[in-house]
Amino acid sequence: MSQSYDRGLIEDFGRWREFSAGMWAWVLHKFTGWVLVGYLFTHVAVLSTATVDGTTYTNTLQALESVVIVRFLEVGLLAVAVFHILNGLRLLFVDLGVGLESQDRSFYASLILTAAIVVASIPTFLEGVF
Amino acid sequence: MADYYSSFEPKGTRWLLQRLTAAFLVVVLAFHFMLLHFVNHAAEITFQGTAIRMSQLGYFLTMVLFLVTATFHGVNGVYNALVNQGLSGTGKTAVKYGLALAGLLLIVQGVRVALAMTTII
Repeated sequence: MSQSYDRGLIEDFGRWREFSAGMWAWVLHKFTGWVLVGYLFTHVAVLSTATVDGTTYTNTLQALESVVIVRFLEVGLLAVAVFHILNGLRLLFVDLGVGLESQDRSFYASLILTAAIVVASIPTFLEGVF
Repeated sequence: MADYYSSFEPKGTRWLLQRLTAAFLVVVLAFHFMLLHFVNHAAEITFQGTAIRMSQLGYFLTMVLFLVTATFHGVNGVYNALVNQGLSGTGKTAVKYGLALAGLLLIVQGVRVALAMTTII
């Protein structure tokens, strides 16, 4: 049976030094969620303006991809997406009551795996832009 | 012992749909990134390549379902976050319908864009 847990107010962010692993997971999941939903709207808007005809579409995407800052923003988006996916899997397991005893360790694993995947992806994401 | 914490009440349709869409999105978002950054490099994307992919019925339907589930998951997540921050009363009602409208418009426009990329119809 689940029990409530008095962790204090996470919304009181001035207490951040006292936050436990699960509270950081909550903060990061919210932050990455806001970024992803913002990107979803932006993504459809950009594709909408590009999909006028085939040439405009190809030129728009290739022009965007030739900008160095866009490539770095894509790496940032990858980091945000990978963390949200891995921590989301962790949350699904928590909701199923699986691995509750190691929910802090699974959060650290999400962070480490995110970092590893992002670092390993950097060469692919920056290929040909310099 | 901290056994369980969730910002959601584990009840209701939206609670369940948020988790079902999460399980779907975990797979499809990873697939989307893999296909359009690693299999096909983003810098080499052309309209012709996009049209070939989108004209396969299975891929097209997966992308439309991706759009619908991501929109629901994102918009519902924003709504839950705002309610969790204390949004209530008239503001809560306005935000609920505002987000529902924004989500609906995003799906309609997303489907229009998807159709413009395909030769299916």
